[in-house]
Amino acid sequence: MKDGLLRDLPSWLVILLICFGLVACGRETLRPLQSINRSLLQSASSRRQPALGKRWLATLANHQGKERIELIDLRHRRPVLLPGLNRPDAQPISVSVSANGERLALVRQRDDQTELLLYHRSMGTVHRLELSAKGIPRHVILDGSGRLLAVQVSRDGRWDVDLIRLPS
Amino acid sequence: MLAVIVDQRGRPTVQLRDLRDGKILPLRHFSRHQPHSSPSLSWNGRYLAVITQKGNRRLTIIEDRLTGRIHPLPLPGGRDPVSLSLAPDARQLALQVADQGHWRVELFDLSQILEPDPIRGLKRSTPTKEGRP
Repeated sequence: MKDGLLRDLPSWLVILLICFGLVACGRETLRPLQSINRSLLQSASSRRQPALGKRWLATLANHQGKERIELIDLRHRRPVLLPGLNRPDAQPISVSVSANGERLALVRQRDDQTELLLYHRSMGTVHRLELSAKGIPRHVILDGSGRLLAVQVSRDGRWDVDLIRLPS
Repeated sequence: MLAVIVDQRGRPTVQLRDLRDGKILPLRHFSRHQPHSSPSLSWNGRYLAVITQKGNRRLTIIEDRLTGRIHPLPLPGGRDPVSLSLAPDARQLALQVADQGHWRVELFDLSQILEPDPIRGLKRSTPTKEGRP
């Protein structure tokens, strides 16, 4: 009976079905990393602004209504400590991480100030970075080496991109 | 190399610039499907991932600048990406999505789709105290 099913169809329809099957098989689909996605879902009430290093994921994670920067070691599937980075009086806006997870660049709002900062994870130090011309930083992208920073800056109602070379 | 979104006749469009001389580098597949957002480059700039608009859906597209191939990558479940980050070696993609009124971040494996963009000369991270989950 099963063999008879294809035999009963007109040959042009069989060819069409085979072609459709080949196209469908050739379509690329995203494969979710189920295990890490499950732990990301369970470990915060919401998460945004992903930034990937080689084996690191930086995000802004919301815990009980308060957002903080989290760095997750993807190999061990757990967050690492970031001493001195998150402050109760500051709201993170953007974060980026170098490929080796050593440097994080961030924009945060504290009091009436929008700060652009660089965090060295191994030393636990935070350095404030100054823009060359006055403006409000909004978004940061650190290159893989952690030595070049691109900052989206608002100046007089328009968006600029500043590049900042960082010492090794 | 720097990927930025610029306004081209009112349409936010991704543009690639060579940081050595400021020249605009050619892209084969990003003249359409605006608005573009959230551009992300792999380590050597071989791959450029961008969120684009196709019809009424947002769609992640990765251009392989070495081969000229394009990889449209629809999200499973018919959802739309909000922002993305491509891993430096192009093995993984992180997407921010909306799910029942909350922002979520999900990771996807690209190893069956893209060749890795090798990371050369990367210093290993200094060991630090590991946090508890």
